Amino acid sequence: MTRWGMVIDAARCVGCQACTVACKTENQSPLDAWYAPVVEWEEGEFPDATLNYLPVLCNHCEDAPCVTACPSGALKRRDDGIVIADEEVCIGSRACMTACPYGALHFFEDRGTVSVEGAPAEPAPSVPERYAHQSHVRGAVSKCTYCAHKIDFGIENGLEVGVHPLATPACVVTCPAECRIFGDLDDPDSNVSQYLSGHGPGEVLRPDAKTLPSTQYVGLP
Amino acid sequence: MQSGGGGPQNVFMDQFDLEARTQRVWDLNHAVWFTLMGVGGGVFLAGRILNLTEGLGYLLGIPTVDVISFVAIAVGGAILVVDLGRPLQFWRAFVNVRTSWISWGAWSDLIFLVVAGLLVLPALSLGGSEPFSGLGWDPHGNDGAGLALEIVAGVAAVVVMTYAGAVLARPRAIPYWNSPAVPLQFLLSSAAMSVSLVMLIEVIAGEPVSAGQMVLLGVLTAALKVAVVAHLRTRRDAPGKAQSLQRLLRGRHRFVFVWGVGVAGTALPAVLAFVGAGAAGARDALAVICCVLLVPGGFLLRLITLRVGIYPPVHIPSMGRPRSSAAPAESLGTAGRR
Repeated sequence: MTRWGMVIDAARCVGCQACTVACKTENQSPLDAWYAPVVEWEEGEFPDATLNYLPVLCNHCEDAPCVTACPSGALKRRDDGIVIADEEVCIGSRACMTACPYGALHFFEDRGTVSVEGAPAEPAPSVPERYAHQSHVRGAVSKCTYCAHKIDFGIENGLEVGVHPLATPACVVTCPAECRIFGDLDDPDSNVSQYLSGHGPGEVLRPDAKTLPSTQYVGLP
Repeated sequence: MQSGGGGPQNVFMDQFDLEARTQRVWDLNHAVWFTLMGVGGGVFLAGRILNLTEGLGYLLGIPTVDVISFVAIAVGGAILVVDLGRPLQFWRAFVNVRTSWISWGAWSDLIFLVVAGLLVLPALSLGGSEPFSGLGWDPHGNDGAGLALEIVAGVAAVVVMTYAGAVLARPRAIPYWNSPAVPLQFLLSSAAMSVSLVMLIEVIAGEPVSAGQMVLLGVLTAALKVAVVAHLRTRRDAPGKAQSLQRLLRGRHRFVFVWGVGVAGTALPAVLAFVGAGAAGARDALAVICCVLLVPGGFLLRLITLRVGIYPPVHIPSMGRPRSSAAPAESLGTAGRR
């Protein structure tokens, strides 16, 4: 059984935020919604101060509290472990947002449109299927999907997921420090399993929440 | 947490952060919704259990307490629907009964309104006639069919009173909410508010409030007080809950929580109820005062519970403490500010 997951080597992150921007570009996430930012914080005092980085995103939990809390069934955990939000089904109760320990869900509020010269004020009325993931519903919740559209495309076209750029999440593809590794956590020969075996057991964020995340970390500060 | 003065704000600081953050998803609307649901289910139950439906006046032939119950639940449900991001899709709230307490709540609201509505339908009086009087059950539950409807409506009412607390308590994300004490508080608060409201209706209708009712109110309110205090004393040092308690007991919500909930909303009405049980002459006045204290207190309990919902940091660094955070939008948009 495939269980897609991501390993983030926080010690490698240089804080360039390329992943943040790549995600935004790939998914055209709503205004104010950042699916995969890098949190920064300072530690210590001058001259012994350091700046730490922590890339964060949806943890695609095995026991996903957002899925449990969602009254409409809009949030689902696919057979491959990816947690997706069906914005057409979402009713905007935001129960998932209160239930998620990571703050990984984003409510698309109607705050007007961003005015960019030359750009349409509203999304095009019909969106080609290839770009359906870039179309978001006002009043609904959206989230990181591990770029499920790319993974599905890769599988359909025989590309190696987590290796081929067209079959790998945008944040992973763009990371210049290669601090994100994506692959099948259930396959002992996959790149993520190999990385974990070589760098010690993966840690998770908010272990007290007992959500069994598929996003795991090594080298956490 | 740095906010960036007049420049661009840190756009995702509210979502991912290494500092405890307060939930801002649910607030006033939800507190009103929770309160109305608690009162709606509770007034129906209190009226039936205390056998007070028949002596406290009627609206269109239907007992006043039942009408108040229906209106409270209908208005509470309407507030919930309006608050949805996509109100026209509200029917989908009924889908996930397998795991979602909101779905359970939606079904219990619906079942309650339908079954309790059916129960009282034979008593409905329109223009002097009772068009549904031929229905084969007693609206006061004094026959088999009426009693069956009353029991189903009563069970639904209990779920209506409780589910809001269960919605908050189930996920582990917010430690202050993740406790059986929260639904217990909501249930006890709903029961106390409802009994006091029924007693208020009694006073308005010119019926005497009994000592037993005052004792019941005192016990419910005292139990609520115990539940609140017990919740404050458990897992006090857990990340997230410690911040919630700090805000409740020493921070910005101290005055409202301590005086609004702790004193006026629980302790004082409990004392007054027990005093009223033994003072027949002042009982009606004390019952009214209890209601005036308990209903706002119950609302404040729910509002404050929502407002002290605090997520612990997603990661607690092993060394030192985070002093500040920055975000790409700020960094990219205002290069050189830091």
